[in-house]
Amino acid sequence: MIEVNQLTKKFGRKKVLDGVSFTANKGEITCLIGINGVGKTTTLKAIMGLTPINKGSILIDGETINKNTYEKVAFIPDAITMLPQMTIKQAMQFMQDFYKKWNQERATELLTFFKLDEKTRISELSKGNTAKINLLMGLAIDVDYILMDEPFSGIDIFSREQITEVFTSHLIEDRGVIITTHEINDIEHLIDKVILLDNGIVLKEFNTEQMRQEEGKSVVDVMREVYIG
Amino acid sequence: MNVTFNNRDPVYIQVVRYFKEQIANGNLMAGQEIPSRRELAAMLKINPNTAQKAYKEMEEQGLITTERNYPSKITTNENILHGVREELIVAAVDSFMQSIRPLNISIDELLHIVQEKYSQESSKEVL
Repeated sequence: MIEVNQLTKKFGRKKVLDGVSFTANKGEITCLIGINGVGKTTTLKAIMGLTPINKGSILIDGETINKNTYEKVAFIPDAITMLPQMTIKQAMQFMQDFYKKWNQERATELLTFFKLDEKTRISELSKGNTAKINLLMGLAIDVDYILMDEPFSGIDIFSREQITEVFTSHLIEDRGVIITTHEINDIEHLIDKVILLDNGIVLKEFNTEQMRQEEGKSVVDVMREVYIG
Repeated sequence: MNVTFNNRDPVYIQVVRYFKEQIANGNLMAGQEIPSRRELAAMLKINPNTAQKAYKEMEEQGLITTERNYPSKITTNENILHGVREELIVAAVDSFMQSIRPLNISIDELLHIVQEKYSQESSKEVL
């Protein structure tokens, strides 16, 4: 489990996160939603130890983040970090050299799943296919938790569909996933848990099926209540 | 499989209902193997945890049986299978009654209309 407790983060004088607390379980998809601006990506970066925090704590399987916990988590940024002139094959090779836990078998499987050719250069990929390769680079690392920053942002509907399929497939296995998004529509049925952020605080945290069962509300219903009132 | 889920009812309950419909209309038969949880999740584009919860619910209701290391199967218990069909029919008729009662229509007229509509719909399906 990833536990975020009272996380506070300032950029200069501005508090981007002001006492954010939530948990994300292994084997579940947790969705961090914020309709405007900052906080979501910063939270993911804090979990990865990529940005220092001002207050609070982050525990991964009960352990305060350190070198050891870093090995358990993969972060997939919202844009690909591979050089454009690399082919997909070269990019995978780079990842393999860099990450001990790179799983080439899974990478190949994902490539087949996305119907992409490893000889293609990153610069030749469409926006949707770039997003898929970006996802592949993170998913092929054998870690227990995967953090994805806006995996659906700005890509075509069919790429979104394919990426959605990854979530329901064995390629995710029983890893814990945290994704940030502001578009929830076509993934409502996929996510286990929702954290609604705004202005650096958690406005609501709930389990989607429980919300439907107990209150008959969709995720969008709850968002409308919380954000618009 | 083509199912559309609404966003306000628990997805697992909608999955159970889908299976019940398939049992009632004969698409799923007694003793038939059903997809694994993971396969079902992929087919219906739902969370594997939700598929798992739906299967657990169906096991509890006796609709499916699961033996260790084997695929789950539709029950062979005829009573349960009949019960499913009855349950769905009664529920559909109940909701129909709820909307038709306020119109204060005679039973003869109603039956006549139902008969006509029903055969129209059936012939549409054939076409």
